[in-house]
Amino acid sequence: MSVGLTPTEQVILNMGPQHPSTHGVLRLRLTLDGEVVVGCDPVIGYLHRGMEKIAENRTYAQFIPYTDRLDYISSASNNEAFVLAVERIAGIEAPPRAQYLRVILLELNRIASHLVFVATFANDLAATTAFLYGFREREVIMDLFEMWTGARLTQSWIRIGGVGSDIPEGFEKKAHEFCRMLGPRLDEYDQLLTGNRIFRVRTEGVGVLPPEVGVDYACSGPTLRGSGVGFDLRRAEPYEVYSRLGFDVVTDTACDCMGRYRVRMEEMRQSVHIIEQCLDQLPEGEVQAKVPRALRPSAGEAYGRVESPRGEFACYVVSDGGTSPLRVRLRAPSFYHMAALPEMVRGWKMGDLVAILGSLDIVLGEIDR
Amino acid sequence: MIDNLKAEIGEDIESAEQVGRELRLRVRPAALVACCRFCKERGYRYPADITAVDTGSEMRVVYRLVSLESGEHVVISVGVPRTGGSLPSVTGVFKGADWPEREVYDLFGVRFIGHPDLRRILLTDDWQGFPLLKTVPAQSK
Repeated sequence: MSVGLTPTEQVILNMGPQHPSTHGVLRLRLTLDGEVVVGCDPVIGYLHRGMEKIAENRTYAQFIPYTDRLDYISSASNNEAFVLAVERIAGIEAPPRAQYLRVILLELNRIASHLVFVATFANDLAATTAFLYGFREREVIMDLFEMWTGARLTQSWIRIGGVGSDIPEGFEKKAHEFCRMLGPRLDEYDQLLTGNRIFRVRTEGVGVLPPEVGVDYACSGPTLRGSGVGFDLRRAEPYEVYSRLGFDVVTDTACDCMGRYRVRMEEMRQSVHIIEQCLDQLPEGEVQAKVPRALRPSAGEAYGRVESPRGEFACYVVSDGGTSPLRVRLRAPSFYHMAALPEMVRGWKMGDLVAILGSLDIVLGEIDR
Repeated sequence: MIDNLKAEIGEDIESAEQVGRELRLRVRPAALVACCRFCKERGYRYPADITAVDTGSEMRVVYRLVSLESGEHVVISVGVPRTGGSLPSVTGVFKGADWPEREVYDLFGVRFIGHPDLRRILLTDDWQGFPLLKTVPAQSK
């Protein structure tokens, strides 16, 4: 009997929707040739709650808590996109102090989200220690949220015309302490992960997304900046007080999983810098503009775009002059990143697929809506 | 931009209006693909969003194209019948149009001619009807 090349045939493998590496209820229908992925069909919708339909049956203010449940890792950015669009239609502007507080909340959300990314991404690659580190630091932010808003995850603290409340006494001191603490901790992560040989082998050159392909798929955020495209809505279309704050738009030309990881690591340092500036510049004054209880914006439409931790989170609101929106469209960055996944994983092994999927930092809540 | 577009596409541009950084176009279905290609060639390479709006009296599909260099937007609206409507797919121009077109089909029932894989995306394959149409009640009584 001669032993030559063993003929193989393609196998269809179901991954998820209950799988620890899919970061939620995502199902991938994979076509495998041995261990190599030749086809990938993401099956989404397991978490679809009909958010856009619900919005048409609620008042503007009533819809804010629903938006928290989209990207629940960073709920403030969803609040912000919806509130921005509504404020633009209704011609409302939040007082300066509220705008600074919003930026503090948004950037704390960004750091919390990126910490979860580092934690889960490392865990996907079997670095369990880093997982515990990431959640340890995030816990301090959760405590800050709880101290200010009473909630840890779904804060709903960005309101039409302002924020839910002023920061409580002692918050500024605790926030400063967190900012001073995070930098050295990130240096620890660099020693533990960024230079780690196994981590590098699993991420460098893996899942390459060329910049022009990323733009064609409407990728955004760290996924696109990890491919060297310096597109950041805080700079491109500044909202709130971002135009008064100094920060770098972080890019990386590696276009691979490592590039996307490095962008998020550096963005956390930039966010710390932004929060410190906000705390230093924080003006006195009101935190809520006068807004009618039953808001009836005049007929029109507006598009609120926010740089969420994942990318462009946008809200397209159309009003017919009534108390409920005529249409609310929720544009989620992860949805577009998932669409690009099949092209990114083709030709890579199953284990690499887990790394590539992890490097996109998706949240199913905003994909399925 | 508007003059060049009108010279190229002609009468199929029903209206054009500049609002801030947005150029809002109302386009006939026949000119949709040519219009998207025209914009892409002029730097509007980022297909930020494709969605639909049903006002109760009319329905339109809305395409938002953004130039990452200039920060300008082009917003293309195309009218479509509320039942059995169809439009040419722009997946040949933008890869990123694939999933949003599937979503508009899934929730509004608009068929995209030339789409490589037009099937439901958020709802189950055996779902009946298109829930974001105004004819579908938000809550069952």
